[in-house]
Amino acid sequence: MLKILIADPSYLVKKGLIDILNQFQEVTQIKVIGTQHGLTELINSFNPNILLINSDFKTCIGISPTITITIYHSEKSENNKNSISILDSKVDIIEVLTPFVKAFTKEKEVETESEDLTPREKLILKNVTLGLTNKEIANKLHISTHTVISHRKNITRKLNIKSVSGLTVYAILNDIIKMEDVS
Amino acid sequence: MNRVHANMKLSDLVESNFELISVIQRLEIPYGFKEKTIERVCNENGIDVNFFLHLAQWFNDRHYSPEEHLIKHSPLWLIVYLRNTHHCYLTYQIPRIEKEITLLEENKDLSDQTVKLLIKFFREYINEFTAHISEEEVRTFPYTIDLIDTLNDKMSLDEFHAKYQGYTIDSYLEGHSDLDEKVNDLRNLLLKHIPPIVGNCHFSNLLLELFRLGKDLRDHTVLEENVLIPIVRKKEQELIIKIKNSKK
Repeated sequence: MLKILIADPSYLVKKGLIDILNQFQEVTQIKVIGTQHGLTELINSFNPNILLINSDFKTCIGISPTITITIYHSEKSENNKNSISILDSKVDIIEVLTPFVKAFTKEKEVETESEDLTPREKLILKNVTLGLTNKEIANKLHISTHTVISHRKNITRKLNIKSVSGLTVYAILNDIIKMEDVS
Repeated sequence: MNRVHANMKLSDLVESNFELISVIQRLEIPYGFKEKTIERVCNENGIDVNFFLHLAQWFNDRHYSPEEHLIKHSPLWLIVYLRNTHHCYLTYQIPRIEKEITLLEENKDLSDQTVKLLIKFFREYINEFTAHISEEEVRTFPYTIDLIDTLNDKMSLDEFHAKYQGYTIDSYLEGHSDLDEKVNDLRNLLLKHIPPIVGNCHFSNLLLELFRLGKDLRDHTVLEENVLIPIVRKKEQELIIKIKNSKK
């Protein structure tokens, strides 16, 4: 989850930044605001990881998120790593943004799990394809219906197959059940 | 994508986005456009120009022209569109894909069992698909047309009630399933889970067709659920008011 807030009055600046930010797969949500009015409230409620803010807005903000990058509508007054200018090229802007965005990648990698089905998921899948309801599977395996549903969601997500008949084809192809088992 | 407007040549529109060929077929617009504008072609064929423009814009850019624009039009054009879509699915696209799947039998990389499973899966889907579409053709569309006729006094209230006996568009929605789900499942089975196939034109083409059909079915569901149903609900409300007024 990487949330970014852009606070700038210019439509073109906002549009251009969104275009660039969307090229980073780490960015999950972008919000924009064109005035200082309501900005503090939005920062509090949205709680962005990175704030891109117009240089004229800056002085009025008491609170700030973890990272603040200043947007200049003229040439940058100082050459620091926390600012961009509308005169910058796309490459320049990406260079400024990249280290901040990539700082969030490491956490994401830890979250990514194996896409293979676990033995437990295979067992659930087998019972699903045999035609058992969630409740019947729960009783049979002595787990809660909620757990069965959660396993089923993971199976569907990993395999990208939603229908029971599609899952059945998968299960037969992967020797989880035999063709004769399904009537 | 350029904005679609009435004075644009129809051939230019199709050139800018060839997916719109589906719209041409589904609204029964004859080919051989010559240099005719969208407006002229629509007028010649009795098609509501604004409906065409909104539909074409929706095809091009969902953000620019959401379904709300299409709701403003009479559902009769939408029904023509949906019926012709069904016709194409049933007589052309689905049988073609079925044939392509049966042709997989010739592929040495796939076991007989795998191909049999895929054929069985798709034939079951065809049955569900046909039932789904026939419910719409036999019940939902005639209901909508008669509802509008009743509102316009072309059909009597008694006749309407006798024919549909409490049927409402919401009862249709309850049984409305996602037709694209199994097409996408089949696509993912072929793409991810069967033994690897290399450099096979026929197999790749089957995948392309499944991608196209899945996307088109998704659009089809959106048009039915987000456009047709809200229009019919509104018409149902108008009928209730009409009945109340007639009793006064």
